[in-house]
Amino acid sequence: MFRLRVMGRTGGRFFAGAILVCSSAAALAHHAIVAKFDDSSTLRLEGVVTKVDWRNPHAHVFLNVESNQGTANWAIELESPIDLVANGWQSDSVQPGDALVIDGYRARDGSRQMWGETVVLAKTGRTVFNLDFAAPTLPLGERPTPRWPNGQPALGAVPGSAGGYWGFPSATALVENGVDVEISVDGLLSDLDDARRVAPMQSWARGLFEHRQSRQLRDDPLFLNCKPPGGPRQYESRHGVQFIEDRERERIFVLIGSGNRNYRIIFLDGREQAGQVGGDDDNPLYYGRSAGRWEGDTLVVDTRGFNEDFWMTNSGLPHTNQLVLTEKFSRPNLDTLQYEVTIDDPGAYTRPWTASWSLRWVGGEELPANFCQNNRP
Amino acid sequence: MRVSLRAVAIILLCLGAAVTSTAQEGHPLKGSWIGVWQGNQAHGDSIVVILDWDGRAVSGIINPGTDNIDIASVDLDPEDWTVRIEASGEDAAGKRLNYVIDGEIQDLALPSRSIVGRWRHQDGSGSFEISRQ
Repeated sequence: MFRLRVMGRTGGRFFAGAILVCSSAAALAHHAIVAKFDDSSTLRLEGVVTKVDWRNPHAHVFLNVESNQGTANWAIELESPIDLVANGWQSDSVQPGDALVIDGYRARDGSRQMWGETVVLAKTGRTVFNLDFAAPTLPLGERPTPRWPNGQPALGAVPGSAGGYWGFPSATALVENGVDVEISVDGLLSDLDDARRVAPMQSWARGLFEHRQSRQLRDDPLFLNCKPPGGPRQYESRHGVQFIEDRERERIFVLIGSGNRNYRIIFLDGREQAGQVGGDDDNPLYYGRSAGRWEGDTLVVDTRGFNEDFWMTNSGLPHTNQLVLTEKFSRPNLDTLQYEVTIDDPGAYTRPWTASWSLRWVGGEELPANFCQNNRP
Repeated sequence: MRVSLRAVAIILLCLGAAVTSTAQEGHPLKGSWIGVWQGNQAHGDSIVVILDWDGRAVSGIINPGTDNIDIASVDLDPEDWTVRIEASGEDAAGKRLNYVIDGEIQDLALPSRSIVGRWRHQDGSGSFEISRQ
């Protein structure tokens, strides 16, 4: 598990370099892991596989480990089968009877569970179930922004292209631009005293944020109850987002790859922003009601009408139903989506504040088939 | 009047036991709370508290529709999650009672979090416990 020093954006070129540094680590964001396992308590186990449980959200290998006290069966938790398969691994890549050497982290509750950071076949020395989280290699030259016939940038794939989605966010924890704090890709602060610097929170919101942080984010409703990653969180999530632009109907569907894989609609037809919390046909509550307009090459989206049933960031920053987001999307080249969000929530913050980061284009692929509901712990 | 409040409270308590509390990840006091203030001769043991948060202050009412005890102020200390509620209402004889409830939020992370403590007014006091529905 990685820790990153996150600094809110201060310069226009910040992400160009930072994205390469952060992308591999950013993809590892996983609340459930840090809540369950202590990354400061390492462990090595050598044993024989008794069973492979190949199910979402995380695969498990069960291992018989011999010691002076006899044989003990350990549960080794691994990454999601979705990610393992994407990296070429299958459920039978390791089989019962195989001897393994596993390094990883102990469970916080002291049970015989372990997060498997590296898994090595003892017989051959081959590392298995390892993942390559690197973002796609950037081309040597910057590829131009794809555009529609009227000149507007295409935020998704244009007809006739191979498709694609946005992933590998350069930041996975929301921090106000210009603030420098050390925070893990899971959203955990290295120093809880930094909580007050992350964003201009009201005292109750800061207290709640600190409480969530102190519990290693284990109360996250996304993991406990598959609540959607509403608000800015959808753009800091592991499995990315996909834009489907319905030009005829003047709306953009944002398909969300994490959580329970639902969608959000950005209306571009000039409709009034009602912003009601009660919900209606075009207000999905967890994603708010979004009315967008183009300002030059930037899509500006006003979103409001959120409920209070979810966490809007991986790190557990609170919000209220007074939350209004102003989101700005731009695509300076084919491979980069710049995302800037201004959070205006007088119910939880003392003033509006802004954060920004970027995502990478994953061309020729559809969103990973992640379903939170598929298998909850 | 008090009988009907008890009946309503019992029904709500049963419903509360039967369903999961509505998620609430915003201000931790916001919501409907049901419980008991033991030994309350003036307004009965059962209590319903409705609290809301407007971004600046928590407001609310106790036993709406029956006793209608207006909440004058709510103070929350996020350092230790202690809560003080001050409210004012009348007993059956029309005497004004000024309530002070001091409690602490327990199980903060849960939608069904509780406030546990004590209530008092000029003529009595007792234990207090309400849970968010």
